[in-house]
Amino acid sequence: MRFLKRIWEWIDDLTGASAALSKPLYHPVPRARKTRWLYVFGSATLAVFLLQVVTGVALASGYVTSTGSAYDSLQFITAHRLGSFIRGMHAFGASAMIVLIGIHTIRVYLMAAYKYPRQMNWLTGAGLLLFTLLMAFTGQLLRWDQTGFWTAVVAAEQAGRTPFIGNWLGHFILAGNTVSGATLSRFFAAHVFFIPAVIFPFIAIHLYLVVRNGISEPPKAGQPVDPKTYRKWYHALLQREGVPFWPDAAWRDAVFALLIVVSIAILGLWVGPPELGKPPDPTLIDASPRPDWYFFWYFAVLALIPSWLERYVIILGPAIFGLFLILLPLLAPNGERSPVRRPWSIAIVVTVVVIIFHYSRVGQVAPWSPRFETQPLPPAIVGTSSGPVADGARLFYSKGCQYCHSVSGFGGIRGPDLTDAGDRLTREQIKTRIFSGAVNMPSYNGNMTANQLSAITAFLESRHRLGAAVLPQPVNAPQ
Amino acid sequence: MTTVLFVVFPYVAIFLAVFGGIYRYFSNRFSYSALSSQLLESRQLFWGSVSWHYGIILILLAHLLAFLFPDVSGAILGTSYRLVVLELIGLSLALYTAVGIAILIARRLTRSLARVATSPMDWILLFVLLIQVLSGIGIALADRWGSLWYLSNAVPWMWSLARFSPEPNAVSPLSLLIRLHILNGFLIIMLFPFSRLVHLISFPISYLWRPYQVVIWNLTPRRPGLTTPSLQPAAAFAGAADPGSHSYSTAADSADESLDMAEPESPSRRQLLSRISLAAGALAAAIVTLPSVAFLLGLLKPREVWRAVGAVDSFQIGKTVEVSFLDSSPLSWAGVTAQTAAWLRRVGNQEFIAFSLHCTHLGCPVRWLEDADLFMCPCHGGVYYKDGRVASGPPRHPLIQYPARVNAGQVEILTSPVPIMSFNQPLRRKPCDS
Repeated sequence: MRFLKRIWEWIDDLTGASAALSKPLYHPVPRARKTRWLYVFGSATLAVFLLQVVTGVALASGYVTSTGSAYDSLQFITAHRLGSFIRGMHAFGASAMIVLIGIHTIRVYLMAAYKYPRQMNWLTGAGLLLFTLLMAFTGQLLRWDQTGFWTAVVAAEQAGRTPFIGNWLGHFILAGNTVSGATLSRFFAAHVFFIPAVIFPFIAIHLYLVVRNGISEPPKAGQPVDPKTYRKWYHALLQREGVPFWPDAAWRDAVFALLIVVSIAILGLWVGPPELGKPPDPTLIDASPRPDWYFFWYFAVLALIPSWLERYVIILGPAIFGLFLILLPLLAPNGERSPVRRPWSIAIVVTVVVIIFHYSRVGQVAPWSPRFETQPLPPAIVGTSSGPVADGARLFYSKGCQYCHSVSGFGGIRGPDLTDAGDRLTREQIKTRIFSGAVNMPSYNGNMTANQLSAITAFLESRHRLGAAVLPQPVNAPQ
Repeated sequence: MTTVLFVVFPYVAIFLAVFGGIYRYFSNRFSYSALSSQLLESRQLFWGSVSWHYGIILILLAHLLAFLFPDVSGAILGTSYRLVVLELIGLSLALYTAVGIAILIARRLTRSLARVATSPMDWILLFVLLIQVLSGIGIALADRWGSLWYLSNAVPWMWSLARFSPEPNAVSPLSLLIRLHILNGFLIIMLFPFSRLVHLISFPISYLWRPYQVVIWNLTPRRPGLTTPSLQPAAAFAGAADPGSHSYSTAADSADESLDMAEPESPSRRQLLSRISLAAGALAAAIVTLPSVAFLLGLLKPREVWRAVGAVDSFQIGKTVEVSFLDSSPLSWAGVTAQTAAWLRRVGNQEFIAFSLHCTHLGCPVRWLEDADLFMCPCHGGVYYKDGRVASGPPRHPLIQYPARVNAGQVEILTSPVPIMSFNQPLRRKPCDS
């Protein structure tokens, strides 16, 4: 032990390490009391980022950055017990990072810690939020299966909506005219080099600013920030009741970070990494690309907004969000910090969280997507296996109606449930709708013969809520 | 060599112009001026400066507009009458400019006061400007018609530079004189931040409507070489202003103008070393960064090739099937992603329509439903009819068609870029008509 101590003293003498570290480590922080555990999310995000770095480096050592081999190399990694564990940790780490940085942002916003003198803390943090989202997006694509492949196309299409340079930007993202050999390398370079190369200095600046400007004290109603007096007041507060960051506050960070890391490790071990989809073969067209869960809400928004609004949302949405993050500390550098005196901030957070939760759920269900996997209706549901009703049921499936409409639990949910269509619609109404279509339904005029139309109409007329299907009587049958 | 001269050199020139200009603006803002020598000599300056500026501004404007609107310019030059008229106007302006620059050079050579106030960089600048004007006149006389080759070769090359996808071969067919003119032009751009050319972006537009004013030199010259009796403020002022005329000057005006007159203070040795260090660092960074960025952006070579997808007889009339083929630029390590696919519909004996797989909403792969005669997108539920028209859902544009043809009994499809739907309209390929 003494030997180790002497080695450390030798290194410290040559490097001045303890002198350099003592200031950030022992800088005084305010006592947070009741809200002290709300301050752990930033450091937890940093801990998870470091976890991502370590697991990412390990994964990169086994990953082949080649469009032709990446999928196989991922299978190789996943087949290895530790490889699967590391992939699992990396995947859950990405999710944890999104959640933690989101909570940290909300905490800072609600406590108005973006006000003087911490505006630059907020701006660098906003940059880190953006880069985290970019890392999540590019990381999903590196899972080079069918979803990863089509995610590249969707990314290029969205970038294509940028005015003037959209087409160029879209093909720049693809590293060429199509998704090809160079595409994956581009995203890999972005995920592993470009974005981290920006994240690291941003983290360094963010931490430096945290030490320089001090950790914000818990806000109190009626205690507004005045830039003229704040620093002096804050300094007096620290003099009066400050405690050293190490270990008085740092232990909570360490315990919470450990909790998060252990949770991620458990999930990575038990649940494992996300399953690889089909190979990234552009000729396999039975693909249904879906984003990872943290972009479900955006996926839903793009499906549900009016199409004329879409181009503006794709471009202006992120721009407005970015502008809000930038302008917030610049336009509101002083005044009340307590959320009690800023009820609109609570309203904004609640609204945003509810919207994201709601649309994430909607995006997960994706009711607008055709259910190609649906199976033909069994005779027990149809009520018969021959005649026009049975023919209509078969046509209902083969003409694609069942991909969007559900009958007795079979089929898609984009269109209305037609389980009881016979109760709600007359024969003429059914025919009119099939012929003329609607905003979200194609017109079948010209796509169906008269007999086919009659058969489908007969099938739908036979659908009733209560009991089994009511089969139409033969025209000449005796009453 | 072509790459160095017509790719590397222009980028270096623009880089130096932009970042050098920014650096000079922030480090020595008040030097953003023409450093006018009007008070040293005004008569020759009037004839030279007016001729030069009126001529060169119109010529530069013509170059700029043709660069920005090549299609419109091409349409304007489409008839020989208009071409000849515009060429004549251009030549006249060039001669007018040449007269102006000749007077300005002669003035600096013959007038001792002006010569004393002329720096080495001024001489370099005057020389390259003279070369530029003379080479322009030479082109107008010897390489007809300059405005046409400018549109057909130089403009595409410049746009390729602007898109970071340089195509230096576009200027290879041009004559030596023209290439000299181009290179000298970029040399002038490169000299921008190091010379009095910076006054180009000081935008003295207010000169057009501001009241007449008298310039008063109220600073004592600091350079020993300039402290001659004829340069004393009283003498200079006496020659410049009419005592009887109505004149005024504000403090700001006199300060600005006097700064025009005063030579900047010689930088100290430390300032000089600082600037050399920063410039060296910037240059080293540019040497490392520019090729890297160019490589990053240089993968965008559009390429289209015809690929056979099957014999004509293997497709039934009225049927739509998926066909796969190698994409336009398959790389050896691309594996399955070197393949691409399209929906091919045979509509006649020799007629085929090839649809892109990509939904025009966000690019997901559409599926063909044989019995329903519909294309459906799995992502957001876009639906298209068999001819590619939008049937329902969020897409706003029909499916994109790829060119298809029959060649030697084989159906061929032209490999095309992934159709990126732009902000306003689809690019590259026209969607099929309804």
